[in-house]
Amino acid sequence: MNESARGAPGPRSPRNHLTSPRTKAMLRVQQHVLTSVRATLTARGFLELAVPLVGPVTDPGVRGAKQADVDYYGATYKIMTSAILYKQAALLASDKIFSIAPNLRLEPPETAATGRHLVEFHQIDVEIADADRAEAMELAQSLVREAVTVVMREASAELELLGRDTGAFAELLAQPFGHMSHAEAVAGLQKLGVAQNATAEIAWEGERVLSGKATRPFFITGYPKGSRGFYDRESRSEPGVLRNFDLIASEGYGELASGAEREYEAGRIITRMRETGENPAKYGWYLDLVRESIRPSAGFGIGLERLVRYITGAAEVWQVCAFPKLPGQVA
Amino acid sequence: MTPLRAEGFPEQEVRLRARSGPAAAFPPAPDYGSAVFGQPPGSGSGDWLDHLRLAPPVFTPERLGKLIELGREPSYHDVTLDSDVGGLRSALPLYVSAFGSTDAAAGLGVAVARQAGQLGVPMVVGENIAAKDGYRGHRTSDGARSLMRRVKAYQDAEERGLGGVVVQQSTEDADAELWNRIYSDPGAQSLLDSGRLGFELKLGQGAKPGLGGMIMVNGEDGARLADRYLVDPDAVAADLLRSSTPGTFTQEILAAQIRLMRNNFPRARVWVKLPPTRDVGEAARLAWAEGADAVTVEGAEAGTGWAPDAFLRHMGLPLADCLALVDPGPSCLLVSGRMWEGARAVKCLALGARAIGLGRAALLAVDESAQDGLIALVRCIELELRLLISALGKYRPGALSAEDTWPRADGPPVVAHEPSVAGVQPSWQGGLP
Repeated sequence: MNESARGAPGPRSPRNHLTSPRTKAMLRVQQHVLTSVRATLTARGFLELAVPLVGPVTDPGVRGAKQADVDYYGATYKIMTSAILYKQAALLASDKIFSIAPNLRLEPPETAATGRHLVEFHQIDVEIADADRAEAMELAQSLVREAVTVVMREASAELELLGRDTGAFAELLAQPFGHMSHAEAVAGLQKLGVAQNATAEIAWEGERVLSGKATRPFFITGYPKGSRGFYDRESRSEPGVLRNFDLIASEGYGELASGAEREYEAGRIITRMRETGENPAKYGWYLDLVRESIRPSAGFGIGLERLVRYITGAAEVWQVCAFPKLPGQVA
Repeated sequence: MTPLRAEGFPEQEVRLRARSGPAAAFPPAPDYGSAVFGQPPGSGSGDWLDHLRLAPPVFTPERLGKLIELGREPSYHDVTLDSDVGGLRSALPLYVSAFGSTDAAAGLGVAVARQAGQLGVPMVVGENIAAKDGYRGHRTSDGARSLMRRVKAYQDAEERGLGGVVVQQSTEDADAELWNRIYSDPGAQSLLDSGRLGFELKLGQGAKPGLGGMIMVNGEDGARLADRYLVDPDAVAADLLRSSTPGTFTQEILAAQIRLMRNNFPRARVWVKLPPTRDVGEAARLAWAEGADAVTVEGAEAGTGWAPDAFLRHMGLPLADCLALVDPGPSCLLVSGRMWEGARAVKCLALGARAIGLGRAALLAVDESAQDGLIALVRCIELELRLLISALGKYRPGALSAEDTWPRADGPPVVAHEPSVAGVQPSWQGGLP
């Protein structure tokens, strides 16, 4: 039963939440997902990196989310909203890296009702030097498919307790994930009568609609510039279109991952910073590295809790989290 | 010894610079904190709005329409002034402009907000307010000047669901993610939920186009701000000059920033503020094409903040020339620059503006009475708007057009005028010499 049947989403009691058989089952599924991801990436030669918790800058927030500040010896540091900048830098040390780390985004309070936003969450962050978008998408597909396979094999009792219909994964396991461009997604939504700005991120409602119609996960590629951060590489052949992707789950569970080829040249990065309203001056350490050269790369971040929610069929993402923090809610 | 004399040469100005150095580039430092600045009178602004006359007709078909609608002769009481101002429903075709973050403006900020809320007109909160006076109140002991105190004062006073609050963000504010902070702030949710929160992307300002915001700070504040702003110890004598940067824009950067605002803050109105530049028409077109709810153009006559004399006297196009360069079509154009009475406002509305912004006038009015100075000033402007618009045979601001000005903006000139010093030939001058 949904513990938050009354009032705002979130657990009524931490004790009841932690001792609930459903929560216990979801946490065990999460354990299998983590084990699977680490095994898949390690087998492919990836180095697991322990990324920083705070720094002078982090991934600039999108869709209105605010970064959390830390007083760092009198300077303002940021708690990581994603490891993107450190991932790019870390490719100087290793060709393929990943991290599984907590991130914090002070999302607008309205997102508490989407069922898939947490303020504190974990990302499976992956970055590959000299790779293109196709390689990153193939790896994201493999990680999700392998995680589902492992959970179905190792945690069938938990899935049964949770009432998850594993038949929903039949297409995921048998076929390549679907694929549509952002322009196609916009056109499809407009045809369905769902409002969607052609130069913006797919809105939550639109994403829910597209996800609800899908029978296996699918990629949306080529988001317009202006919808994402400065680090997603802009197409050279199609100016204004980014070489990026989102991975959307089926059955209405929505976005699982975002990824892209990255910008790596100083002039382009600084220009893109201005286009996204960022002040290059605050990215000093990053731009110093970029000016000396960083490696071209592609990568992505999978939301751990979102992936576990999809696999377990949880109604809301906070249910898969031991200590959920929901947007706008202060304990 | 007899001092050297130089008849016909600005001798005293030269002597002032010889005594004061860089400080002479600015208005007198003792005025800071007790004066609002802006273009001095008689500085050769070429302000055509002052020369234009309003041109009423004998034949008034719109009055006939109103007569039929009312079943009686219409009067100035029948002018409807409520307006859509940049996606916000306003009681009047006016809004309160952003002020500089100078001490003079900061001390009046909350009273301005309260009175603007009572009037039901939109209020723009200027850049750097949060950085200088605090977001919620940490910069002053009681937070009396803070950004959110102003927002709360506005919300508490506004009872009809009108108006709204529009917040600017400078490059330095962006470092503190001001817009994200407000958008995620439970204290701003009622504005957001009622569609009355807006963000204004500022590309510059009337008083000093090409420069960022400037204030004077003491040594302690200067040290605190030095990691985020340019703090210049040499530019002024007594204090430190703290400058914000103007920001770098290309067409692509402007387009992308507007798209990003619409993407990140889909429930907020998007305003774009342009300085009086030679390419203001192109910039306005681009902003509207990208979906901006309003473009605000500030003429060179505008400004409340600290600015170099050379800029106040020589930099930027007069508002009338900006109006000639900008074609809003059905989009919302907002203008400001020396606004304080109804006739100038009606001329701007006739030349394409949807609403006018009160800057210095709002500050002076609140300084006159923190209780109701702005309210009284606006009531006076409101009466003048009603009188003037009805005398033109019209009963709503949107009905005004170039035909209501003389010489006619859309016709051949009848009266010769001196040419604009800005060198721009406003289209409505027709074939003026």
